[in-house]
Amino acid sequence: MKRLFALIAVLALVVAACGGDDDSGGGLLETVQDRGEVICGVNETLPGFGVVDDAGNFSGFDIDFCRVVAAGVLGDADAVQYVPLTAEARFTALQSGEIDMLIRNTTWTATRDGQEGANFLYTTFYDGQGLMVPAATGFTTLEELADGNICVLTGTTTELNLTAVFNARGIPFNPVQFEDNTQLRPAYEQGQCDAWTSDASQLAAFKATIESEGGAEQFIMAEVISKEPLGPVVADGDTAWAQAVNWSVMAPVQAWEFGLDSGSIGSYSGDNPNILNFVGDGDFNPTLGLPSDFAVQIVSQVGNYEEIYNRHIVPIGLQLAGSPNDLWTNGGLMYVPPYR
Amino acid sequence: MTQTTIEPPPEVDPNESVVWYRNVRVLRVVGQVVAVATVVGLIAWLFNNLLTNLDRQNINTDFGFLDRPTNFEISFDQGFDPRSPVWQMVLVGLKNTFLAGIVGIVIASIVGLIVGISRLSSNWLVARAATLYVETFRNIPPLVIIIFFGFAIFTFGPFPLLSEATQINFLGTDDNLLILSNTIWGIPGFVAEDNVGVFWITFGVAVLAAIGVAIWRTQLSDRTGVHHHRVRWALGTFLVIAIIGHFLAGGAWSMSWPVVSENGRRIDGGFIMNFGFIATALALGLYTASHIAEIIRGSILAVPKGQSEAANAIALTGFQRYRYIILPQALRIALPPTINQYLNLVKNTSLGIAVSYAEITLLTKTSIGNGRPAPQSIAILMGVYLVFSLVISLLLNAYNRRIQLVER
Amino acid sequence: MTDPQFPMTQTELGAEEPIAIPVAESGPRQKLPPGKWLRRNLFNNWYNSLLTIVIGALLLFVAVRAFSFVFITGRWEPVRANLTLFQIGTFPRDEEWRVVAQVLIWTAALGLGVGAAVAGAKFRALQAGVEYVTDPALDRLKRYWALVLLLLVWLFFADTIGPLLLTVASLALAWGGYAAASRVSGPNVGLLWSVVGVLGVLGFQIVSGFFGLGWLWMGLPIAVAVYALLGRPDTDDVKRQRRIQLIGVLVTFAVLFGVYTAVDSVGVEWDDWEGLQLNLLAAAIAIALSFPLGLLLALARRSSFPALRVMATTYIEIIRGVPLISLLLMAQFFIGFFLNTDTPLSLFTRAIAAMTLFTAAYVAEIVRGGLQAVPKGQMEAGNSIGLPAWKVTQLIVLPQALRAVIPAMVGQFISLFKDTSLLLIIGKLELLGVREIVHGQPDFRGFGIAESLVYVAFVFWAISFTMSRESQRLERKLGVGER
Repeated sequence: MKRLFALIAVLALVVAACGGDDDSGGGLLETVQDRGEVICGVNETLPGFGVVDDAGNFSGFDIDFCRVVAAGVLGDADAVQYVPLTAEARFTALQSGEIDMLIRNTTWTATRDGQEGANFLYTTFYDGQGLMVPAATGFTTLEELADGNICVLTGTTTELNLTAVFNARGIPFNPVQFEDNTQLRPAYEQGQCDAWTSDASQLAAFKATIESEGGAEQFIMAEVISKEPLGPVVADGDTAWAQAVNWSVMAPVQAWEFGLDSGSIGSYSGDNPNILNFVGDGDFNPTLGLPSDFAVQIVSQVGNYEEIYNRHIVPIGLQLAGSPNDLWTNGGLMYVPPYR
Repeated sequence: MTQTTIEPPPEVDPNESVVWYRNVRVLRVVGQVVAVATVVGLIAWLFNNLLTNLDRQNINTDFGFLDRPTNFEISFDQGFDPRSPVWQMVLVGLKNTFLAGIVGIVIASIVGLIVGISRLSSNWLVARAATLYVETFRNIPPLVIIIFFGFAIFTFGPFPLLSEATQINFLGTDDNLLILSNTIWGIPGFVAEDNVGVFWITFGVAVLAAIGVAIWRTQLSDRTGVHHHRVRWALGTFLVIAIIGHFLAGGAWSMSWPVVSENGRRIDGGFIMNFGFIATALALGLYTASHIAEIIRGSILAVPKGQSEAANAIALTGFQRYRYIILPQALRIALPPTINQYLNLVKNTSLGIAVSYAEITLLTKTSIGNGRPAPQSIAILMGVYLVFSLVISLLLNAYNRRIQLVER
Repeated sequence: MTDPQFPMTQTELGAEEPIAIPVAESGPRQKLPPGKWLRRNLFNNWYNSLLTIVIGALLLFVAVRAFSFVFITGRWEPVRANLTLFQIGTFPRDEEWRVVAQVLIWTAALGLGVGAAVAGAKFRALQAGVEYVTDPALDRLKRYWALVLLLLVWLFFADTIGPLLLTVASLALAWGGYAAASRVSGPNVGLLWSVVGVLGVLGFQIVSGFFGLGWLWMGLPIAVAVYALLGRPDTDDVKRQRRIQLIGVLVTFAVLFGVYTAVDSVGVEWDDWEGLQLNLLAAAIAIALSFPLGLLLALARRSSFPALRVMATTYIEIIRGVPLISLLLMAQFFIGFFLNTDTPLSLFTRAIAAMTLFTAAYVAEIVRGGLQAVPKGQMEAGNSIGLPAWKVTQLIVLPQALRAVIPAMVGQFISLFKDTSLLLIIGKLELLGVREIVHGQPDFRGFGIAESLVYVAFVFWAISFTMSRESQRLERKLGVGER
């Protein structure tokens, strides 16, 4: 019995010790700086946005924005730890603090902004949901897909949009859900679905690969059935961290607007005061929690927006010029608040 | 150990008062109270943490979400309206879970029995083929098998598109017995008419009457020694009353034949099976069959050899020996572990996730992905499986006790 | 979810205990001339002939299709190019030496362990005065044909010399360890097991880092060795000797604690374990952790305290009633919320917690089966010589029960290993998950999809098949299930 009491006493102590933890103050920004690494929730199977090569390295458009934040906050674009996430678990991971930021082709919606405790930042990619059909079918409108099987990934806004749009128009359809594109693509190619709905960028990527690999010709319907602003997300309630991430993410766009790229930003010799502030040559300090040379670090290590886009999105078949992702001066939507 | 000597037990006067902390009965009670208190305290602490954390993250802890709309369509469930509440989605998932489970169980039982017997076949090739089957299926994760079947049968399989589906007619009529395509298959089904309520009443009567007849035949057999044939009698009674009930209600059920719709994208009528369902049920059926085959083999070997020799002695053929002597004994040994396998199979239908089969786990996961609270959703999911497993376990125990009583 | 590898019957509420499967008699088989053999085994009557032809045709068809798939039509480039990714996922490549070291240390430990078992058996045979016979080496190699095939596939796919060198080195280490260990004389076998334990822990810590409670795990096998070394059977002063042994053990732990604190080498994050490495390590860790928990549950379920019995039974039945995937979903979404930790637990840790909680219920039932198999007379004999109940359990019941459950535990491990494929569903990159990222790569998007699945299935199959064969052999050797 004595042993038992001793055991219980020890257990009680352990329990008390565990329970005694309190939230220590200090924001995520400090935590990240102490850790020396940004933990970034990503998608690992999305062409152009996040893929893994045979040596285990992550690359892609979203991945580069993780690197942008690491370069901005820590001065080292490689100081990132990537955490692949499923669509369902991404907000849980963010809220529980498992990841510092989420950039996993996540659409900014009111429900998510409110209910999921997520804080959406600057939109890095304007996308829209489209539908792709084999060109041989000759279909051009949604109505022609009545009763059709439509392939879609589960747990995404794509699935909800599909239901909402088709129901609103009274078009009967049958969704065929898939967990990932590895299974969806062959199913679509073998005719298990009449159409494939996803973000237009994804459809373009798959159209290009299917056709280049000798598959049937594909057609992406002109109609875009939703707005899909994709960008980085952080957890609600930490303004300092949100600001640091936001301004880091906007720096490549600002650099593009200033005409600076990874080669030229380090050696800027002009006298535009805004640019001088931007590259940290001056005593301008907006107290964003970022080092004064953060923009130089970001652009020289990762590149400006155009470079990032050309590196990852152009190869999957989407041109920058004339798209919503072009600079506002060219008629696009890329418009960042002035850095002054 | 060498120091331990055997001492005679000390003389104890039952009336002698023992100090309370030396009293075994008190100590037993105290020990158990302490154990229970520790466990309850631990659980309370864990749940307190959970609630605190959920609250901190603004996650609702009530079940109100069950009444809100589901918001997404369910694959191959044309009757489901995305505006219907979440609890209806749970019911659809439950239905699909059991559908795949039951079909899987039928496949597993038939294949398992055949393969199990084949493993003991005197034909070298048959025995080897059965071993190959068992060793292949048993050692690959069911998840992989399900994905494989989804590919092998449908995506890369031999079946045509639905618009040009293979249709097998019933004796040259226009009624389709089977429609095969690379997305859905159709077979004839029964449709309940409006007046099916009357039928269910007679159905109940039929079940009761069948049980009554079975008891009567058993008692008759005990009294007179006539063979009872109680299964035949009960089944006959049931069918007669049920069929009468069907017609009494003015045709409670009608046959529904599957037809490919004009635009070639739908099957109207009949019972429709989608590729997720078929891949899940078939893969799990064949996977579980490899386990059941081993159980059957073990059970057949466990039947005493003398039984088989006695059967030979009275000149039964190989088939008769199996049918009348060995299998009845072996199957009784095999039943409890086989039912455990059935339970595993039903739980494994949750792997249908991999081929997007809309069973309860996939729907729960999708629903969580669309913003429904995870703790409550998963609690419901676990509760459903748990109730099912416990009910089966209890039935099995009751059955086992009966068997044991008969034996001794 | 968990499928016991052995046929199970059950007693109450789904409790399981193995059916006795009599081993097929393998009497001396006469060599028949081929014609006679065919007639006797394949064509002895009309329906057997028919069956032979039908099954033969079917097998031939499958074999031809499989052959053409594997050697002619199959496109294995995605697997070939990503072999390393399938083995270790995105494990940091500059830490890859850890994996290599782990493989070498563990193969050496395996060789030593098998050698130690042989040495132990030899010693027991010597004591019992019987001759110790081993299987011929070729027979032993034949048992591992599936693993050998897997190795050959890997070597065939590998495009550098590295894997070949690693294979040769680890085989040499395993063989060397076996050869050295099997020659160790009887009384030293215990020490040998300590060495095996140290190597096992070391192999694990090479990838997990020498930190945290690592000193404790490393201390266990070393302390056992120290305890044994300090013991002298011929001494009179038992108390003094016990004190010396105790001091030795404490010093061991203190030194290790100092060393580990000083070194404090963090390896890689546990969440970086991916690919086949993740499948194997997750299964190994979960089974190791679930064993003590399962043992406690089994003892509680058989305890004379009704409260303990009820609590243990409730736990076991609840866990066995739900599929593993529901627990994994719980791990994915909110298992971490049950604790008040400052930093969130990694997904790996949470998944391991779920798998451990799950497996413990099954282990408890296995152990309970083992406990029930111990004849009642054993306990009564223990009671009659005046041992207290816990000593009866510890000294008499458990040693016999645990020996009997080894094969079933191996079966549970295989089952758990297969279940690690479910980690895919919660987003961990195990073998199936790696397959998905492989087909996300620009080069391999459209083809080789069936091939990569077949490859993954083959890896699972080769490992499970070999282990299940071994466990059956072990079962026969230990005489479990024979009555």
